Amino acid sequence: MPREAEPSLNEKQFVLQALKDNLRQDGRDLDAYRPLDLTFGDEYGHADVKLGKTRVLAKASAEVTVPYTDRPLDGIFTIAAELSPMTSPSFEVGRPTEIEVLLSRLLEKTVRRSGALDTESLCLVAGQKCWSVRVDVHVLSHDGNLIDAACFAVVAALRHFRKPDTSMEAGVLTVYTPAEREPVPLGWLHSPFCVTFSFFGDEGEISVLDATWLEEQVRVGSCTISLNRHGEICQIAKLGGTPVEAVALIQCTQLALTAVRSFTEYLDQKLTEDAKRRDKGGLLAELSAENDR
Amino acid sequence: MTVAAPEANLGILPKSDGSATFKYGGYTVTASVNGPIEAARRDEHPYKAHVDVIVRPAAGAGGTRERHLESLLESSLSQIILVKDFPRCLIQIVLQVESVPANDYVNTKLVQAGINLPIIPALVQTAVLALLSACVPMATTAAAAVIAVVPAGGSTKAVVDPSQRELETAVSSHAFVFTAHGQLLLAESQGDFTMAEWEDAHATANKICCEAAKKDGMEMILDDEKQAGPDLQAFLRSTLEAKVTEDLQWR
Repeated sequence: MPREAEPSLNEKQFVLQALKDNLRQDGRDLDAYRPLDLTFGDEYGHADVKLGKTRVLAKASAEVTVPYTDRPLDGIFTIAAELSPMTSPSFEVGRPTEIEVLLSRLLEKTVRRSGALDTESLCLVAGQKCWSVRVDVHVLSHDGNLIDAACFAVVAALRHFRKPDTSMEAGVLTVYTPAEREPVPLGWLHSPFCVTFSFFGDEGEISVLDATWLEEQVRVGSCTISLNRHGEICQIAKLGGTPVEAVALIQCTQLALTAVRSFTEYLDQKLTEDAKRRDKGGLLAELSAENDR
Repeated sequence: MTVAAPEANLGILPKSDGSATFKYGGYTVTASVNGPIEAARRDEHPYKAHVDVIVRPAAGAGGTRERHLESLLESSLSQIILVKDFPRCLIQIVLQVESVPANDYVNTKLVQAGINLPIIPALVQTAVLALLSACVPMATTAAAAVIAVVPAGGSTKAVVDPSQRELETAVSSHAFVFTAHGQLLLAESQGDFTMAEWEDAHATANKICCEAAKKDGMEMILDDEKQAGPDLQAFLRSTLEAKVTEDLQWR
């Protein structure tokens, strides 16, 4: 498979010099995101996220299965992020690259390990039946900052997703089809988002938010901070690269918090819009068989 | 049941040579085409290009079913792409299924065995659009249709673009792909059927896929000649015309 072409020396110099003068190729501020766009599909749990030219599709699905023997009271929750040759011909099917491993690892840490989804609520019959919730992340085009876009897509898809309603009567488990009962949302506890900073310069003194692919190829290091709108940090990943001053990192977390607050606001607004669109006759509340938690 | 008209968007992905999204009958498929590019050593062929088709399902990892669809598409598309023009090259087509029609009466299982006939037209149509968008030289274009033979009071009738419920009750279903010249490119069938039923399904599919090509130049369509489905060749043509006009527009 052909390798991705690296930027030329001139291009690299140009990007770096511009960043030193506080300028970016697309005219953004150093701490500004590209326009974020989220579209929900016709079915539940389908989120299409566009961040500039980066486009990520997340699809949530659920099925009933047998829980793991060592965790009989928990449901199963998996995030599958596989990069296809659609992203770039240099990716091969079934041969994970470094980008792909890092992406799955960060999504896992941010969404799964932070306990965003209540896995205990996915249990149906202890040790016998549980829901297996799966999110597939499809990267359609990669123009930098894949991690933030993918994390946003995963959270949006999960919050939009509805699983079939179930009932237990005299030891018999019934899973209702959407025609019988309105599907119910997942037990969601908090919405963590990833914010990635890229560092430039000899000492990593210039920090830039939402780097494009060209900038990502030139950077000397990066740091991904995952947190929710309450400022609770789920993880910080600074994997190698040039060391960065501790004070600069603290400033980054402050910036990350404002970014996450705007993400949360945007997602909430989109979810309400979508709910309004689906609730045509205002009858959805009556159709629902869900109990208040 | 009436099905909404097909929708297509060309050149939506900035990084690939050509791309298209096609939406029809509940199916949404996005395709990207890269090519001709350097082939891996094992795929290299001394005097023709290798056509590599990758089908990725919306949910779950791809399995035998996707591999089967890939092999069907690979052999059909190799017939219409001028592969001999690009020796030792690779033409890579990635088909990402975005959504499939929902059936409110059944809870879907992630892993489904068996062949998935009704998705073939959407995949073929998207692949052809993406190939055109990538300017890959082809001998002809292709159009596809799926026909279900459903029981209707003792006898059977052919239904174009069947719904999920019709597919469940169908005694047999058939997917056909035709070239723009009306030649049969792919025929896949499933279920029990007689030769007469197959002929009938073939004729219906041929009508949808190729009628417009034959009628080219005729000034009027008679009212009693009701179209059974959308005119796919005309759709392909109008989509590309719109794209070309848009691209050629100065400012």
